[in-house]
Amino acid sequence: MIHMFRAVLYTQWKWSRLIVVLGTIAAFAIPLLSVQGAARADRGALQAQDLLRSVQSWGSLYPLLATALGLFMAMAAWAPDHRGRHIHALTLPLERWRYVLLRFTAGFVLLAAPIAAILIGSSLAVLTATLPPGLQAYPIALGVRFAFAVFVAYAVFFAVSAGTARTAGIILAVIAALILVQVFASMANLDLDLFGAAQTALLLGPGPLAVFAGRWMLVDV
Amino acid sequence: MTDAIHIERLHYRVGNAFEIKDLDLHVPAGSIYGFLGPNGSGKTTTIRLILGLLRPLSGKVTVLGDPMPEQHARILARVGYVPEQPHLDTTLTVRELIDFQAAFYPRWDRARAEELVARFELDGDQLFGRLSKGQKAKLMILLALAQCGDLLVLDEPTDGLDPVVRRDILSALVTYVSERGATIFISSHLVHELERVCDWVAVMDNGRLITESPMEKLKHGTKRLVVSGVPREIGDPPFRMLSRESSNGAGESWVVGDWEPAMTSYIESLGASVREVIDLDLEDGFVELLRSFRGRTPHA
Repeated sequence: MIHMFRAVLYTQWKWSRLIVVLGTIAAFAIPLLSVQGAARADRGALQAQDLLRSVQSWGSLYPLLATALGLFMAMAAWAPDHRGRHIHALTLPLERWRYVLLRFTAGFVLLAAPIAAILIGSSLAVLTATLPPGLQAYPIALGVRFAFAVFVAYAVFFAVSAGTARTAGIILAVIAALILVQVFASMANLDLDLFGAAQTALLLGPGPLAVFAGRWMLVDV
Repeated sequence: MTDAIHIERLHYRVGNAFEIKDLDLHVPAGSIYGFLGPNGSGKTTTIRLILGLLRPLSGKVTVLGDPMPEQHARILARVGYVPEQPHLDTTLTVRELIDFQAAFYPRWDRARAEELVARFELDGDQLFGRLSKGQKAKLMILLALAQCGDLLVLDEPTDGLDPVVRRDILSALVTYVSERGATIFISSHLVHELERVCDWVAVMDNGRLITESPMEKLKHGTKRLVVSGVPREIGDPPFRMLSRESSNGAGESWVVGDWEPAMTSYIESLGASVREVIDLDLEDGFVELLRSFRGRTPHA
């Protein structure tokens, strides 16, 4: 099985290396940029507010980066199989769930690079900046949260990408149906908020996408 | 002799347009089995059912003694497959594709792979997407042969290739069979090609099996007879009447299957006489079989 994994990992690296390299550079740079110019030791309370604002605005890039990495890595994992109509994969001598697991794991192993880059970039950022009194740095927590967000995004998009065009069509049809129902409900003045309900279910804890919501702060009180 | 592939009463349907119905097939182990049929006759669908890529509605498929699709991983470890269309990733090089494939097959023969790379004059650093059609076909054959399977399933592997490449591929296949005693199941509509290499042949049309027999029996048993003095009704003959036409007042021209010289006496017992027995090659026999089948089935 280790030979198979190595072979799958190699192909996946070849297909997605540009995504991994760009994602790793971005993941390394964002924490450093977020505290750029931060904080000499003599800064007072007002400067602490400036720093928090800067960290918060840069922080919105972490979930975006995690989502983009998950999306593009998942697409890269399946694109060649889709092009070959899955015939090569389906005629390999292993159970299909094992093949899917190999592809999934290989993608996540490659995503370890940007996750490590966040950890390293965050740690370097807090080491090179002098934080105003009262503020604390959370590089490990940020790295763990980013890893979790990348995992969730990759898993969701991997599952969607693995499906056929018909599956994607069904998903789009369900979303379109929800929009239509919402539009008709609004026109009929019905008290129905499907998207609010969906947002609550998905984004608020313990929703599956809650990790993306809220503030992503490298430095906080 | 056991069967490398054994299919019993297989039924598969794609929408309302096409179905394979009551298919029985027996591919003897160690044979080179030609699977003939016109385009759209169901050859590729049958192959996909054999490999577990499609699930039948009913019936039983046994490959190398194991049920398909229940044991597909175990079976596919012993089966080399070359599909009709190149299915490999176009962004990988020849060498990368060989290495990828090698990782999945425990019996992978690295020496054979190297030998075939040299024999087929493939450049290891060339991307699959940049290979010519002939080179792609050769690489796919290489991958199927180097995994040292007991069964090779080849779906029109030489279709559209020039005669030199076709000959190279067929020669590699014949060498493989003679060395390993493996079974080859090869589908094609190129009748002459199969005639040269196969020892068993089946003919399919419109999702039905028309005939399955040893190649020699089909080749030598299909004849055109020029017969005179034939009554209108000829009862139940010991041969298969594929077609019957009057021949410009000079009696009748019959195309028959399963013919043996001793059957002349049956025709003579009807008060008729056989004036000429003409050998048909496989292609003529194939065409007559199809004509006869289509004449009998309303949907063909």
